Amino acid sequence: MEEEREKKVVVVGLIEKAVDSTAAEVDPRLLKAIKFTVRYSDSELRLAAQTLTSLMKRDHSQVRYLALLIIDELFMRSKLFRSLLVENLDQLLSLSIGFRRTHPLPAPASVASVLRSKAIEFLEKWNESFGIHYRQLRLGYDYLKNTLRFQFPNLQANAARAQQERREREMRTKEILLKKFEFLKANFSSIKEEIQTNTDEIDECLEILRTNDEDMPLVPVDNEDMEEFRNSELRQIRLDSLKEGEKVRENSENKVVFDALREFYKVLVTRHLAAVQEWISVLIRVDATDNRFRDSALKNLIDIRNLIQSTRVKCEESGCDLPNIASADEENTWEDGIVETFEKGKSSPTCSKTSDAPSASTDNNPINTEERISSLPKGKEKKNNHSGSKSNPLRSKLMTEAPLLNWGSFLDNWGSKRDVLANQRGLDLDAHWGRVDQDAVIPADKIAELNVRASVYEEDPVEIKPCRAPLRKGGLCQRKDLRVCPFHGLIVPRDEEGNPINESSTTEETALQNLVEEPSQDSDSRVMDQLLKQAVKNVRGRDSEEAKKRELDKQALKKARLAKVREHNVAVMRDAAIASTSRSSHIGEDTQMGDVARSSSSSSKSKKQTLASMLKKKETAKDRLSQRLLNSHARDATIRQLTVAEEANYREAFPNQW
Amino acid sequence: MWKEIKEREFGNVRPNLFSSRISKSRVSSIQLSNYKEILSSHRGSVNSLQVDLTESRYLLAGASDASVAVYDIQRATDHDERNLIAKHKPLFVLNKQHEHGHKYAISSAIWYPIDTGLFVTGSYDHHINVWDTNTTQVVMNFKMPGKVYRTAMSSIARSHMLVAAGTEDVQVRLCDIASGAFAHTLSGHRDGVMSLEWSTSSEWVLITGGCDGAIRFWDIRRAGCFRVLDQSCSQFGRRQPLLLRPTTNKVTNFVRLKSSPASQSSSAKVRAHHRKSANGSALKPHTVGRISSLVKTAKQRSHPGMLSSHDRATAHYGVVTGLKVTGDGMYLLSAGSDSRLRLWDIESGCNTLVNFETTRLQSSKAIQMAVTQDSTLAFVPCMAITKVFDIWSGQTKSTFRGHYENVNCCCYNALDQELYTGGNDRQILVWSPPKFVSDETGEGKNGKAAATDDQDNWSD
Repeated sequence: MEEEREKKVVVVGLIEKAVDSTAAEVDPRLLKAIKFTVRYSDSELRLAAQTLTSLMKRDHSQVRYLALLIIDELFMRSKLFRSLLVENLDQLLSLSIGFRRTHPLPAPASVASVLRSKAIEFLEKWNESFGIHYRQLRLGYDYLKNTLRFQFPNLQANAARAQQERREREMRTKEILLKKFEFLKANFSSIKEEIQTNTDEIDECLEILRTNDEDMPLVPVDNEDMEEFRNSELRQIRLDSLKEGEKVRENSENKVVFDALREFYKVLVTRHLAAVQEWISVLIRVDATDNRFRDSALKNLIDIRNLIQSTRVKCEESGCDLPNIASADEENTWEDGIVETFEKGKSSPTCSKTSDAPSASTDNNPINTEERISSLPKGKEKKNNHSGSKSNPLRSKLMTEAPLLNWGSFLDNWGSKRDVLANQRGLDLDAHWGRVDQDAVIPADKIAELNVRASVYEEDPVEIKPCRAPLRKGGLCQRKDLRVCPFHGLIVPRDEEGNPINESSTTEETALQNLVEEPSQDSDSRVMDQLLKQAVKNVRGRDSEEAKKRELDKQALKKARLAKVREHNVAVMRDAAIASTSRSSHIGEDTQMGDVARSSSSSSKSKKQTLASMLKKKETAKDRLSQRLLNSHARDATIRQLTVAEEANYREAFPNQW
Repeated sequence: MWKEIKEREFGNVRPNLFSSRISKSRVSSIQLSNYKEILSSHRGSVNSLQVDLTESRYLLAGASDASVAVYDIQRATDHDERNLIAKHKPLFVLNKQHEHGHKYAISSAIWYPIDTGLFVTGSYDHHINVWDTNTTQVVMNFKMPGKVYRTAMSSIARSHMLVAAGTEDVQVRLCDIASGAFAHTLSGHRDGVMSLEWSTSSEWVLITGGCDGAIRFWDIRRAGCFRVLDQSCSQFGRRQPLLLRPTTNKVTNFVRLKSSPASQSSSAKVRAHHRKSANGSALKPHTVGRISSLVKTAKQRSHPGMLSSHDRATAHYGVVTGLKVTGDGMYLLSAGSDSRLRLWDIESGCNTLVNFETTRLQSSKAIQMAVTQDSTLAFVPCMAITKVFDIWSGQTKSTFRGHYENVNCCCYNALDQELYTGGNDRQILVWSPPKFVSDETGEGKNGKAAATDDQDNWSD
């Protein structure tokens, strides 16, 4: 009998231990132990069920959550456990999901939401696997789903539905393709004919233009100028512009032809080319039975496409001012690499026409200036985004080295060492006010003086590193401050998890050095004092961090203080409890329980504290700010006040808990 | 069980006794049925359930969404894929879309006691409709002065076809289906009437429980009520020993003191017949005569000058939400919004002081309780659960959890020993004894294969 009882205590103890943690998972070793003990004894299992249901009533979401995890483990395994638990399923559900408005889930709200979603998930799982054997499961599931309209994750059904949808979509596209294919099959010849006539017409138009063009004289090329161009690109531009001159110009005589040509071109590009592309893609994708037709049609279509494209090239070369269809092309759904590249090839000469032509015409071309600039000794290496760095390797190299300057009038006579004739400006005023010295000269150094370039100092952008201290809600502090984060103190190098890379003495020293070195910015001694204090405190904090793994010092200190205050309060309350009200007796129980826990394991005490701390109200930003701003004396006072207020709040919120 | 069968074959046990034993053992093992499921088509809380009195086959349900449905509880319309669960879909549903349907919640739906060709529904839209089951048309319509809380028809009536209706109004009206008019208007209550029941021993006696906390007895052949139950007037146990009776009365200074010798003699006679069957087919005319003679004597004494103090007596503090007469017509179980259940001796009009273990009862709505045929167990909806009480001791025999919201009504099917409950969560649940082993084997391998699924599954 005694042994039996001892054994029973084993399960209860194991479960209580497993539940008494702040982790998001049940300790797998404990879980295994629970399963092992429960597996071979029905009485243990009954006791486990009893313990778990009573744990589910605890006023703490974390406890409930862990208990629910254990319940799920056992539920999926033991039939007896299932039948025991199903009896009170409504209670279990209301405790884990909190669907009754009178019984909401208890305190740590984040855990509570996890608990709810987990419980819903579990219920769905249970219902799927055992619903057929337990009417209660079906009822609970049905009630939550159809009456309360809870959203179940519905994993399997969702996957199945997605599959179904995809299949349907595929079917539909296949059908559409097939229909199109049939259509193409029916009127392939007519389509072909239409395109053919269109291209023929374009050809005819071009022919007419060319014959008109015969009698037009060629613009003479003045070869003398060629020497001026120093690189091939400019030459290219020049050639382009010359070629441009050779092209047919639109005038009143051939306007009609041009109009017609434009019309045909537009039809060709927007309609026929697009249509042909689409037909090709249809033919490629469709899996029709009539393969022979498909192949021949495909071949035909590709031929047609080539024909269209060659016609198009011809059109463009003819030089008529073609309507821009690029935008229309982009709107088409199908993608076509060929057309894209073609567009580009077409657009580049026009671009050069507009932008490069004037620069080429100016005598003092920009290449010279750029070259000069690059010869300057001071070279900030910046990438040159200008176009046309492809032609000359030397030039491109120089371009990479050349500094990037803002445009200004000083560039007009960059590096010129000539004297300037003062009165030779092309405007002859002929001595209205007296003699004019035509040979007056402004010396070069004067000019240089006049052209002194003003430049504004620009600070190099400095990358300010984020604070990266671990936040309580997870994640790292992303606040960027130069030296001190107002929430987490001195900014120190930290690893991925936000733990300071421990070089305590050095960092402190560097911090001090920083302070010494830069007194200009923080000349105020008070601020310095504060920072010093801060640094000292950081060191202390790090010590305590080592003791309490990964707890920031202030939080921990405060927590300890709070705990002390609470302990004190409880002690006072216990002493003061005279009348045997239910509340006071409850306190007695609680402290007794606490004593037991403390005696049983010293480690559980700290855990207990953390469990309780989960219930505690979150430290607000206001608290932290005040803590940082006020000096230690005032701070102590405020903390005391705040904690008292917090205690009061806490008691109001949880009148049954102390 | 086999032993009992053998004894019955040998003639040691009479068939009646045998069947009652079997049914008793079955009733005691009732639990949430896993193989029988009623697919409720209601969109609102189920307020009323009744199994028909002739075949015990058709379950009539009335719900708050103004829908009435009839379910065949013997033959399933549907099975799940593994043939484990029999699903019962409604044979028909009448809801607001019906041209003569009710507009508001249906508070009560009852079968015509003689056959299943008619049923009667009472609704919060102040109307009582009489429906033809086969054509699902309204054949008769009574306009009431207020919301109808409860309707009742006598299961043993041979000489009248009256539907008693308790409404918001203080008067209880009796609607005559035969003529389509109000036959009686019974006034006496000081507030609306939440619950009413016909006596199961006399076709003329109607029992009503009002929002004023009074339970009144009416003899519809005479004017006025002839008895008001008083919670302070009590007796211990099921029935007083004959000899002790007068002294008790003297002690309590009971008003009907003088009539007690007469009732005493009649009570003995009634007791001799109290094993008659509940549905009244074996109604013995002279019993009725006795009761009526009792009524007469009572009336002679009390009615014309019924003391005002007696007239004001209450059975409950608060509303009387439910009434149920036991099958033999001797006892009355009443539920009040004071969360009390009381068992009354109809014959003496005394509270029997059975202490039903503390429960909490729904107080805003009328509840429908159920009693087993042999008057041993009472099924009472207590908020979201249904409790089974031993009538004579008041102990909780078992507790049925299954509904997720308040339970409104219970209906006990004596033929199959099944209980049906309807609640605010729109469900109608079936509670039945577990299947016999023979049934399982009869189902064949199908059932067995499925049963293997529900096994322990320890992976480690």
